[in-house]
Amino acid sequence: MAKIAFGIPGLVRKKEGGLVSPWSFDTKSSLLSSPLVTDIDQDNNLEVVFGTKGGKIFCLDTYGKMKWEYSIVEKVDPVEAMFLDAESSNSIESSPAIIDLNGDGKKEIIFGSALGILYAISSTGKLLFKYEAKGPIKGAVHVADITGDGKPEIIFGSSDKKIYVLNNQGKLLWRKTFESEVESSPAYILEHKLIVFGDNEGFVIALNQKGEEQWRYKTGGKVIAKPIAGKLGEGEETTIIIGSTDYCIYALSVQGELLWKYGTEGAICSEACIEDINKDGYKEILIGSCDNSVYALNHQGDRLWSYETNFWVVAKPIAADIDDDGNIEIVVGSYDHNIYILDSEGTYLIDHIPGISGVVHQAGHYSDVPTSESGQHRGKRIWQYKTDGIIVGCAYAEDLKHLVVSTKVGKINTIKHTKGER
Amino acid sequence: MGKEIVKNKDDIKRVKTYITGLDEHIQGGIPEGHIVLVAGSAGTMKSSICFNILYHEALKGSNSIYLSLEQSHASLMNHVINMGYDISVIDLVLVQDLSELMSKMASVKGNQKGSIIMVDLGAIRKEIKDMQTDENRSWLNVIKNVIKKVKEHVPIKIMTLDSMSALYVLSKFKNPRIELFYIFEFLRDMEVTSLLISEMPTDGTAYGEYDEDFLSDGIVHVRLTPFRRNIVREISVVKMRTTRVNNDVFSLEFKDGKFQALYGGQNPLL
Repeated sequence: MAKIAFGIPGLVRKKEGGLVSPWSFDTKSSLLSSPLVTDIDQDNNLEVVFGTKGGKIFCLDTYGKMKWEYSIVEKVDPVEAMFLDAESSNSIESSPAIIDLNGDGKKEIIFGSALGILYAISSTGKLLFKYEAKGPIKGAVHVADITGDGKPEIIFGSSDKKIYVLNNQGKLLWRKTFESEVESSPAYILEHKLIVFGDNEGFVIALNQKGEEQWRYKTGGKVIAKPIAGKLGEGEETTIIIGSTDYCIYALSVQGELLWKYGTEGAICSEACIEDINKDGYKEILIGSCDNSVYALNHQGDRLWSYETNFWVVAKPIAADIDDDGNIEIVVGSYDHNIYILDSEGTYLIDHIPGISGVVHQAGHYSDVPTSESGQHRGKRIWQYKTDGIIVGCAYAEDLKHLVVSTKVGKINTIKHTKGER
Repeated sequence: MGKEIVKNKDDIKRVKTYITGLDEHIQGGIPEGHIVLVAGSAGTMKSSICFNILYHEALKGSNSIYLSLEQSHASLMNHVINMGYDISVIDLVLVQDLSELMSKMASVKGNQKGSIIMVDLGAIRKEIKDMQTDENRSWLNVIKNVIKKVKEHVPIKIMTLDSMSALYVLSKFKNPRIELFYIFEFLRDMEVTSLLISEMPTDGTAYGEYDEDFLSDGIVHVRLTPFRRNIVREISVVKMRTTRVNNDVFSLEFKDGKFQALYGGQNPLL
């Protein structure tokens, strides 16, 4: 059924300029996760750090020049090597964690590989230590001081059905076995001292600092997305937001009770972004889905708007003031190769005018009683930039106002807003 | 084949089935690079038909891989020798130990004769009992790595996988349809003509357990049909992309060391 859509001029802020790409970097290997942008070596300049499917960590400066690269080299018995996929056995599937592990002021890079080995490397790309799990490490590593000793611990899950906690020297503190593989990245809620993660049986599980299970909540599908926790409004309790491959996004209390859930039409594979995008004093939830859309939900789980791209949205959305106009924009990377910059407020689009649409669609019938809403809030696209591949991750360098985008074909692209036409 | 567009139909290179009376009904053979299901119930000579193609290609100097997941090489060899094949005129390379693969390939490289590289995965499985397979360590990777490594050393024209059913048992796919799609993509990237043997139940009509029939470029169906107090073998080409196919059902006979497709569309003596 054809729909008549009307934008309401005047309600939408006029935006000028466009998007340009200052540089791109070809890794010659597939990328599977977001880059990170941070100053890792205390030189007051940001670096772009990311891992590849080929088992390399790259560190670039913000002009796209390579500062260093670290290659995973593991000796594997030739017969065992025949059982591995040579192209992806050292694959780094998630973004690394970047944090000062040893208190020297410089940041270390911690990541896991498909071969099941966790690595910590220095800010100059030298191996500090590694730890071998018994299964692939697919989710990102989380680093937080969970023991309260002032030193950070390393938390990660593995397809060997275990959650591991290591100290900052890479020594095992404890590990706990579950019924199913853990591909989701864990999160740590400091205020409640809870480690929260999802497993492939569909459970969201919370552990205390010693690895004792506190609660679990069953979703209808495998949980591979990273949870995010925060207070959605002033004086509110901490809420855990996590998506599942059962197409739903869940809001859970820190006691593991369901607060609300919102159903999309596709699997949710990545972390949500929580940010007060409309300045109403409450944080909104932005989440991408494999139904090709990004959703903006309010703190009670009601849809504010959604925007449909042409393919899955797997990269975590970003809320940032891209064009420096004092308003937040929403950045969405899609498997359709495009970066979309959306207005944070969305826009109201009329699908039909009650009565008129009745006449149009049902010849000979007329009703003046509206039977459905005449329209809905939808995401409003401001700008769009086409990259050369499936977008698997985005990061934002606030200082430079640069978006850094990773694509599956192996390119890192920077994208920024320009006042003039591009 | 398959990646470039040919200028005319005669530019399409084909691999003969070496079944007299069948090749002429499929424009001379299977287009090179195709993935073809050889489907049939037990006893329909699927393995022998595939071996026959590899044997005749070896006589012409081409190299092929025969990956046997179930039947031991000895059993298969005794079977074909009993059928009358003279394996001394080809270079038969037996791989029963993965660590010997590279050294065996070195001998193939220097050989003037065409080779059949027979990889006995059944024997290899017995040898490596303690290998823990998981999502990353799989028998499917072994198959892929064997093909890749062999191809790095010697040109390979045809690959036979015997059988898909055994592969499913061995690999325990979580999402067979998705995994199959990637296996087919892998085989296409390898640019070899692939013969995939598919076991059909005696009373079954599906050529594969999952979506093999949709994914494959061709299907050759062999079946057993009761005729009076006898069972006759029949063969038909159900599908062959890039080919004008006569879909008639032929009787299949093996006589005087040759496969023959006879009496198109009819049973003999009727």
